[in-house]
Amino acid sequence: MTDHWADRLSEYVDGELRLQDAQALEAHLASCPTCKAVLVDLRRVSARARALDDTPPVADLWPGIARAIGVVAAAPARSGRRLTFSVPQLLAASITLIAVSGGAVWFTTHRGVPPTVIEHVPTAAVMGATASWTGAAPYAAAIAELDSALQEGRKAGRLDTATIGVLERNLTIIDSAIAQAQRAVLADPGSAYLNQHLAETMQRKLELLRGATSLAASRT
Amino acid sequence: MGNTAYTAPTFSGDTTTTAEAEAADVALAASGDGRAFERLYRAHVARVHSLVRRMINADVADDVTQDVFIRAWTKLSTFRGEAAFGTWLHRLAVNVILGRRTVLGTERARLTSSDVALEQVPGRDAPGRNELTIDFEAAIERLPDGARDVFVLHDIAGYKHEEIAMLLGIVPGTSKSQLHHARMALRRQLDR
Amino acid sequence: MLFTLAAVATFLVTQQTDTQLPVRPGTRLELSNPHGSIVVRTWAQSAVRVHAEHSEGDQVQITSGSAVLTIGASSRHGMSEEVNYTITVPRSMPLNLSGVHTDIDIDGSEAAVSAQTVNGDVKCRGGKGQISLQSVSGSVALQATDGRMDVHTVSDEIRFTDVQGEISAETVSGDVTLEGVKSSDVEVSTVSGNVLYNGTLLDNGRYRFSTHNGDVAIAIPDKANAAVSVSTFNGDFNSSFPVSVTGSTKQRFNFTLGSGSARIELATFNGDIKLRRPGQLRDEDEDDHDHEHDHDHHDHERQ
Repeated sequence: MTDHWADRLSEYVDGELRLQDAQALEAHLASCPTCKAVLVDLRRVSARARALDDTPPVADLWPGIARAIGVVAAAPARSGRRLTFSVPQLLAASITLIAVSGGAVWFTTHRGVPPTVIEHVPTAAVMGATASWTGAAPYAAAIAELDSALQEGRKAGRLDTATIGVLERNLTIIDSAIAQAQRAVLADPGSAYLNQHLAETMQRKLELLRGATSLAASRT
Repeated sequence: MGNTAYTAPTFSGDTTTTAEAEAADVALAASGDGRAFERLYRAHVARVHSLVRRMINADVADDVTQDVFIRAWTKLSTFRGEAAFGTWLHRLAVNVILGRRTVLGTERARLTSSDVALEQVPGRDAPGRNELTIDFEAAIERLPDGARDVFVLHDIAGYKHEEIAMLLGIVPGTSKSQLHHARMALRRQLDR
Repeated sequence: MLFTLAAVATFLVTQQTDTQLPVRPGTRLELSNPHGSIVVRTWAQSAVRVHAEHSEGDQVQITSGSAVLTIGASSRHGMSEEVNYTITVPRSMPLNLSGVHTDIDIDGSEAAVSAQTVNGDVKCRGGKGQISLQSVSGSVALQATDGRMDVHTVSDEIRFTDVQGEISAETVSGDVTLEGVKSSDVEVSTVSGNVLYNGTLLDNGRYRFSTHNGDVAIAIPDKANAAVSVSTFNGDFNSSFPVSVTGSTKQRFNFTLGSGSARIELATFNGDIKLRRPGQLRDEDEDDHDHEHDHDHHDHERQ
């Protein structure tokens, strides 16, 4: 049996009930020990919340913030050569990736971690693992080049911390998606959708790195 | 439905600077004084960081806190001084948090209905937990988003339901029921 | 105490620049503001009004060329600090706006718009012709735009409301929501986020919606003519009206509506694909319930 007053106890605690309702609830409380107990608890939860202290972060975040807001930067210019690979080229790259030793070796050469566990595929790993395969070489080379340009931009301080953080978070998201797509293709190499999806996700990574590099290059 | 006037939330946080000195710092920071902004940062970071921890989680708290202050810096010129700086900053923080949560939120999107998730908030008998405050904060973190948001904003930060409704894009009625759900789930954290 | 108050008095006066100059029709606006905000409004006059709030060390510089009006700020100390611009321009003046830690807000343009920022939101209400909006850490929102829309961000959402024309929208972590769209060419992609489309599906049009982690929800009007391809690796397909599948593999199946003239591709790796009638999509958008099942719908389970 639902006690309809039970749902309104919080409002009562906060003084939000109209006078008649509050009085009716009080009358109910007189004969309902359950509600009375709940009421006491609600007040205590609320009081406990109010008593919570605010604690600062362990690290001092100010230097990062200062860099972010103090960085002098010109507007990003749209420069840099376009690097696009057709879907067939990316497909070839990804299929070659998987065709060698059924993919299992590729995963284990990097970290010795069994394929099902990998979530994050760092750029260097993709580069290292694919460099020797002809179909994948252009893609891997492009990724490697862009990656190193991005690192340069970081070191030279041309990208502020906040933006680097955003780019890295999103690279991780894409890497994770690539890894999932690769595992799926491994299990079902004939799937048109999976191959296409993998290729497109790899293309997205390329585009993100390209965008990041042009940001790093142009902001001085 | 009636009353749309909000009272500014009151904070139990530390305010080591006087209101006047803070107003001076705000004016200085708005015109580009980095050191004045740093003083504002130091005065308010604890509250902002705690809000982020409670509304998202500890892992991203540093990041999001930085985002909040960076955004506050760029928006400082729009602060007209109608409310206290802390109030304005807090509201900005809530907006940044909600925006960031949309990004992180895909993993949470598959949550089961509130009731089921609420039942999973463990009581204090869970092994290895001795610190009551840690228990309580951890329990808050385990609440489903909707209930947690409202609980943090209402019971910890002191917002009223009308304002919470506006911030979260819900109706005040939902805010009230979410608050009630949260409190009911957190009852288990109380010692008896 | 007295000293502090005096300091306040000095600094409360932020510098303002407010000037207006005539422009020839066809002139393009180029405004670069690394730090602050750019607000653009329009009027019927053949003139540009520049209002800027900035610190006293900065100077706003306006250069008027034969086809381009360039606005920027410089400072005695090198690069300018934060500037907040409000520019009023003729409606037909093409806009090229850029910033870094900058929010951009445009309203009322009837010309081409290009707006880029890194850390900030871009809002464009209006715009006609080639529209290119970009951010990295910030949302992009368009409304009442008419033209070729090319929209990118990395870490935030993209929203189209009541626009018309070709659309290409990409984000990495963020939702893409399109409502009230009239288009025959829509390409939307996100990696971690949901996609929602509530717009026209014109004969011979091409519509592609793809995400890796997230749901794809699309409203399909009663009389739509479309060949639909649905792909998902790990998720459900859910339609509020019956569809008859014409071909299927493990992750992809197809069905045809009407004459099948439009091409629709719906793809998500981890997530659900939802088909609704236009009214239903709006309602479901509001509340987060489990999928509602109609008796006749075809529920295709994914493994």
